[in-house]
Amino acid sequence: MKTKHLNLAVVASAALLAATFAGQAQAQAAGTFTVRLGATTVMPDVTSGDLSAPTLPHTRIDVDKASQVSGGITYMWTDNIAVDLPLGIPFKHKIVGAGAAEGAGELGTVKSLPITLALQYRLGEASAKVRPYVGLGGVYAHFGDSKGTATLNALAGGLPSNPVSMKMDNKAGALVQLGVFAQVWGKWSVDFSVNKIFLKTTGHLSTGQTIDTKLDPTAVQVGVGYTF
Amino acid sequence: MKRIKTTKFAVAALCLAGLAALSACGGGSSGETAPSTKISSVRVFGDSLADSGTFGFKFTVQSTDNYIFAERIALTYGQTLCNYYTATGADTFVPNPKPGCTNYAIGGGVINTATVANPTTNLKGIQFQLAAGAATAYSANEMVMIDGGGNDAAALVGAFLQTQLSPGAASNAQWVGLLGTMSSAAAAAAADPVNSGVLYMTALADQFYSTITATVLNKGATHVVIANIPDITLTPRFQMVLAGIGAAKGAATQQQLQAVFQGWLSAFNKEIAAKASADSRVLVVDIYSNFQDEVNNPAQYSLTNVKDPSCPADATLGADNLPTYTFPKCTPAAASPGWQTALFSDSFHPTPYGHQLAARLIALGIAQKGWL
Repeated sequence: MKTKHLNLAVVASAALLAATFAGQAQAQAAGTFTVRLGATTVMPDVTSGDLSAPTLPHTRIDVDKASQVSGGITYMWTDNIAVDLPLGIPFKHKIVGAGAAEGAGELGTVKSLPITLALQYRLGEASAKVRPYVGLGGVYAHFGDSKGTATLNALAGGLPSNPVSMKMDNKAGALVQLGVFAQVWGKWSVDFSVNKIFLKTTGHLSTGQTIDTKLDPTAVQVGVGYTF
Repeated sequence: MKRIKTTKFAVAALCLAGLAALSACGGGSSGETAPSTKISSVRVFGDSLADSGTFGFKFTVQSTDNYIFAERIALTYGQTLCNYYTATGADTFVPNPKPGCTNYAIGGGVINTATVANPTTNLKGIQFQLAAGAATAYSANEMVMIDGGGNDAAALVGAFLQTQLSPGAASNAQWVGLLGTMSSAAAAAAADPVNSGVLYMTALADQFYSTITATVLNKGATHVVIANIPDITLTPRFQMVLAGIGAAKGAATQQQLQAVFQGWLSAFNKEIAAKASADSRVLVVDIYSNFQDEVNNPAQYSLTNVKDPSCPADATLGADNLPTYTFPKCTPAAASPGWQTALFSDSFHPTPYGHQLAARLIALGIAQKGWL
């Protein structure tokens, strides 16, 4: 996990460096589309509520970070204002015990797909080689394919013949981002952004128990783009 | 013109990729996966709390899914428990002819056999169960679950209460005699019940742990779970006894005595925890504190009754003027409404739900050990 993360940073810095020396190239001007392909790491910053009864007091959860191949499309509405639609495949997060369940290990996995649309302001001229940007957006987090472990089952009083299952509510949240777009060569570019997503959801067990969880992940994405 | 077409195509392709991802993400939740630790056999030793049916019934409500805590843990690993022994009388047992049964626990199980009939052979002595189990060495894929000490503590409390309720040479001799079976220091301190009880229970824990070391740990076991003694002063039976003392001698004496008995129980539990603390093969589960929390904080555990027995009492009182219960008669139909979420079946044993809550606590400990 850590290695992957490091690699992303290396790619991003190399691209930025390359951009500095790149020649005059196609601008990211009004009406252009840039498509990109890369990777994203989502790091939840979990504030867990307590699992509802029946359970040990202060049974909580944590959600591990996850990385996935990702991409996106940026449409330049004007020379400075862009609409960005990240695209990707779901992130698979491990859910682990916390609070009274600290150290219990993996309770399950859940796949999340944060469907995002961001409005960005890109600094500089349309022809600038390096264009930092800020963005504001909406996120609809779709959670699915949840799988509980034997540990979850045993902790929640299930039996293998009648296992406890879990799911997480799909929720809308907000996103702010800081990024940089850099032309590398001709129509090719690199896009790097750090995104903070404000997102709360509720986890449900088939026992009827619930747990309110603030996920508030930070997503770091890097992609190689091509402008049409 | 050509460029626009290409652009549109690319966008459409990516959107499709996005949609495919969305649908791939869809769907609800699914069931559990197998434990990451392979446990291929679970051997159990102890008393009525862990007994799978030595007497033909379990010491709880006789419902179809009345798994006791050890059975629930075993099921987590795909193992079904059955009683290793079958009772032929109140104190006589033969091996169960059914093959593959690994639960040696017997209702009435004790550490100090001085309190039961035939003390040198009675399989109610948990050390005799453990010795029988030790005939076959343990493998690295086995789990051992042990409970004990609850009946010993009850016997100690009973002997002490006799000295209070029927003071005299006879009850005093019983009390001093019982203390002496486990610890001469405890017998010497008999006049100081607070201290002598602590000495007795500590010696009891020492003997229990040395038996476990010799018959389990030294026989290859690497996953050993010991459930400590619950706070039996909170059971309906003890609450009735304590209420009787309160009525006769006042609430202060009642509270004082309860604290003394809890001190005895804690002495045993502390000693077991201390003995096991350095051994990574052993997990001691603090049933004592959890059980107290269940009684003091029932809503947290979705318990609706933590005071009353759910089983119907027998028509006549026992010799000690306390209600008695007959488990085979404690069917779901005969049990009090709401028994499913009550803590007690009879006046001393948990309901199946109480067992489930204990199993959850044990499962947490096992998971934290990395054994699940």
